[in-house]
Amino acid sequence: MSWLRISLTAFAISAALPVHAQTVTITTAGGDYGNAIKEAMWGPAAKELGYDVREETQSDGLAALKMQVTAGAVTTDIIHLGSPEGAQAAAQSLLEPLDYKIIDPNSVPAGAKSDYCYPFDSYGTVMSWSTKTYGQNPPKTWAEFWDVAKFPGRRALRANAQDLIEIALLSDGVAPADVYPTLSTPEGLTRAIKRLEAIKPNVSVWWTSGAQSAQLLKDGEADLVVTWNGRAQTVKADGGTVDYTFKGSVIGTDCLAVPKGAPNKEAAMKLIAAMTQPARVAKLTDFIAYGPVNPAGYEGGLIPEDRLKTLATAPENAGTSVFSNADWWVKNGEAAQKAFDEMMNR
Amino acid sequence: MTVLADPALAADARRERRFFLSLSLPALFIVGLAAILPILWIIRQSFLTTGGEYTVGNYEKVLSSGLTWSALVTTVELSFGTLAFCILLGTPLALALASARPRVANLLMAFVMLPLWTSILVRTYGWLVLLRREGLINAALTGSGLTAEPLPLVYNFTGTLIGMVHYMLPLFLLPVYAAMRDIDANLVRASASMGATLGQTIRTVILPLSTGGIFSGSLIVFIYTIGFFITPAVLGGGKVNPLSIRIERTLSTFQDWGSASVLGILLLVLMALIGVMFLAARRLMARNKFGTAHA
Repeated sequence: MSWLRISLTAFAISAALPVHAQTVTITTAGGDYGNAIKEAMWGPAAKELGYDVREETQSDGLAALKMQVTAGAVTTDIIHLGSPEGAQAAAQSLLEPLDYKIIDPNSVPAGAKSDYCYPFDSYGTVMSWSTKTYGQNPPKTWAEFWDVAKFPGRRALRANAQDLIEIALLSDGVAPADVYPTLSTPEGLTRAIKRLEAIKPNVSVWWTSGAQSAQLLKDGEADLVVTWNGRAQTVKADGGTVDYTFKGSVIGTDCLAVPKGAPNKEAAMKLIAAMTQPARVAKLTDFIAYGPVNPAGYEGGLIPEDRLKTLATAPENAGTSVFSNADWWVKNGEAAQKAFDEMMNR
Repeated sequence: MTVLADPALAADARRERRFFLSLSLPALFIVGLAAILPILWIIRQSFLTTGGEYTVGNYEKVLSSGLTWSALVTTVELSFGTLAFCILLGTPLALALASARPRVANLLMAFVMLPLWTSILVRTYGWLVLLRREGLINAALTGSGLTAEPLPLVYNFTGTLIGMVHYMLPLFLLPVYAAMRDIDANLVRASASMGATLGQTIRTVILPLSTGGIFSGSLIVFIYTIGFFITPAVLGGGKVNPLSIRIERTLSTFQDWGSASVLGILLLVLMALIGVMFLAARRLMARNKFGTAHA
């Protein structure tokens, strides 16, 4: 009997302490956001799976991914990308297809689904303003944001066509549902660019990083800033004289993908499935105001009621917003960015 | 060059020269590995499509784009602007340093060197604190009633230039200072004893004798400023876009390594052109100096 007990104990120990823990390397954007993803998502998931997860940070995920894959030296197993970058990477065959035997393909709404990059959280590109400048009477629509006579003040916009050309059309009276059909015509793109050119003299800063946009709000350098809701919320929560609205926001998603030729492909798929369980993507909102893409994340009271209004995809915030269309950007992104850069140059 | 009469001595000298030359081999090896190889790689990359086929398309695309040329103009404007301010501010400062008593000179030198030991990022963000709309300078200006509105000092060309001049000034100053220190004090005394005013002494004795230093300083300014990235990125507010920023954008927004490589080569060519210009100007000035001496 005793030999059986010993071997059973040994078996139990070796199961609990595997000699070779499966290692997986994950690359995120780092900073507060990267830390939130670790605390809420992959940290607990790694513990559950018994994986040894290593973290790398890259502010420009796509450029890093492309370098790794084209150089044939892939070191990361999971990479965190914006969905437009994810679609772009997929089009350049830099990604492994998601293994839908491991990851549940029906856990995200049909419109957000991707075969290569699994969308897990969402954010809005929103209008934010200084409450010191506008008090109780801020601009309420993008059309008013463009109205420099009624709302004088210094604007700050991102130095990138993404989201801005959508917003430009919204400000010009295009309905949310018609934004991409309009942009898909050459006249539509020109119309958006012209609209941006019209506001250009009132733009004091074209920001290049989210942290910079938050700083501009905090310092009072700009009165009206187009930024990501997470950034605006952070400044507001820190006591900044700032507010923002989800009305007319452009909603984007971030996603997780496995680079082509990743060393631990299967473990990576398993970790993606585990770290995006509804409770974990709901937990992410404890740290940063980026709401789950998986509708199950909003069910069962996983997210406290008062926090829902700070999330772009919360049920009550839908309606006036536009879902950023990653496929449109893959097809037309280069032309749009070029037109934008030329506008900036004029 | 001295000609040695004794063949044994000459052979010795040859052996010595060869030995000294061989001492430079490790350095040459590192330069080859760290500078020449990547440049060759970039040149190759500039002729490849994203699919890896040979093409001249990248060159057509980059050279036919108005964005490239305006970035080139911005690069040159920033470099020459920085140089102009370095000469205007740095030359008198070098003169003051070179003529000050040693203790004062050392103290002044410490002030000059201090920023050189500070990280460029810290310094750049430091300027942001000073120059922004509610920053120290504007608060002082509007607070004292000197200006009604805050001045647009940053997030534009002005702010970028301020940051770049601040960075480059010590690096420009050092060779100029060294050249001025080397001027024989007797020459200055001689010119004074011949009745020259201070202005005349500076113009006819000190400046001509420090042109070498000013040239080296200017070349250093160019080498650095042509590739400046952080300062325009932070202080330019997205409105000042030299070639370095164009390269970053080509990579991060378009993932277009081919075009980015072409832009990098353009930067290299620009540097080479300026180097040749400098050499030519230097030779011309040296010839003129002899010309006046003969006249």
